[in-house]
Amino acid sequence: MTPAVSQVLADLAGRVARNAAPNVPAADRAGELGLSALLLGLAAEMWDGAAEILVQENTDLRALLAAGAKVWGEESRRRWLEALAQGRDESLRLSALQSANGELKVALIALHAELERRDDPAAKALESQVWRALVAASDRRRLSGSPV
Amino acid sequence: MEEAELVQRLGAYAAARMPQAQDVAVTEIARITGGASRQTYRFTLVWTEGGEARRRGLILRRDPADSLIDTERRVEFEAYRAFHGGEVPVPEMLWLEEGEEALGSPFFVAAEIAGFQAGTGPLWTAPYQESLPALGRRKWTILGQIARADPTALGLVAVLPATRAEDVWLRELDHWEGVLDADETEPLPVIRAAIRWLRANPPPPAQKVAVVHGDYRTGNFLYDTQGGIHGVLDWEMCHLGDPLEDLGWSFNPVWYFGQGKPGGLLPRDEAVAAWEAASGLTAAPDALKWWELFACVKGQAIWVSSARTWLDGANRDPILVYPAWALIDAQDRAALKVMGHL
Repeated sequence: MTPAVSQVLADLAGRVARNAAPNVPAADRAGELGLSALLLGLAAEMWDGAAEILVQENTDLRALLAAGAKVWGEESRRRWLEALAQGRDESLRLSALQSANGELKVALIALHAELERRDDPAAKALESQVWRALVAASDRRRLSGSPV
Repeated sequence: MEEAELVQRLGAYAAARMPQAQDVAVTEIARITGGASRQTYRFTLVWTEGGEARRRGLILRRDPADSLIDTERRVEFEAYRAFHGGEVPVPEMLWLEEGEEALGSPFFVAAEIAGFQAGTGPLWTAPYQESLPALGRRKWTILGQIARADPTALGLVAVLPATRAEDVWLRELDHWEGVLDADETEPLPVIRAAIRWLRANPPPPAQKVAVVHGDYRTGNFLYDTQGGIHGVLDWEMCHLGDPLEDLGWSFNPVWYFGQGKPGGLLPRDEAVAAWEAASGLTAAPDALKWWELFACVKGQAIWVSSARTWLDGANRDPILVYPAWALIDAQDRAALKVMGHL
């Protein structure tokens, strides 16, 4: 959810107020308010589940990184994954959850690339888990009107 | 710029471009919503010439402060001009202004093609629904005609950067990965995996270096109720490249519009057949798969750029938020689907 819902709602509030002025051309007003309504609908759909989605995703990512630390032999990488895997979502603010999610995903991308490079069964099994987690994350984030 | 000022300045500009005309004025101006990379207006130009009152419906495409797609408006203008009058239907281009003096930002003016739909909203309802297969065949036939066109004969090699058949994939992938690197607002594991796969499995050299429209999809052409197409629009990402790039983009699952088939119009095999028949080229499955996955990377780069543009604050148009919110996960899903994980 980037840009953040809170930022977008604040912007839309100003936009709706400006469009309440009587001298706004009708076509401009229709366009702006139509788009604003579309975004408000998306925000309404995303808002309630946003924190839960991020908490669940962060939990899954930490589990993958913990597993990754066991198969990645290189010391500094192993410690990096372990440290991230031991993290917790102390705050349920969306901005904090999103920030943690970003850190975890950076590590996941590195782990995923490492797993792709390797042929051993443990790496391949974990790579399959990574794909399953990516599909699950995408399923959770899927909006009702998603074209895919 | 307020509408009254725009009307006055546009009228003055048109008058200067039409020395044979008197009493030139802009009337009935209205913004067409939906464009995220250009501000588009419909207007009527009225004037007197040889004592006779005249009027013409025109389109103004003006660059906003910061657009979704960074492009040269000359590329778009010249692409339209190159195809005008041929088998690929496009609107007639009239004036290109690359400076900021006239209207505050670069723009071009084109003839309006009136009376047809461009938005996807009406497509899956009566009376359009009946003609979807015909519209689909026409859509991919025109795309094949674009692929078949000779960029040298069209004069586009003077405008579009040159490329080699064996390098086109790398140039495009480098470019869009660079956009992601610059504009990414959060890490994208699916798309980064897609990029690694694309680099590890390069496509064969392009069958020819062709004109690539760059954004050929349902929603970017004017259609009627009978399955006819009267204008191919939005050429701002036009370039020279592999013609399979356009075919792959047209098959991007985000352009299925929930209808279960490419463009929401036609089964995939029929679309490929129409394209192959019109282009005289072959859509080899492995090469096409590469370009379909590339389309997912390119799409994601565009949606991410949209979010970045909004966040940077130069342009807070709500249309920039829509792709970021509605399409980033959908594009991930599309990539997962093309890679066989969904």
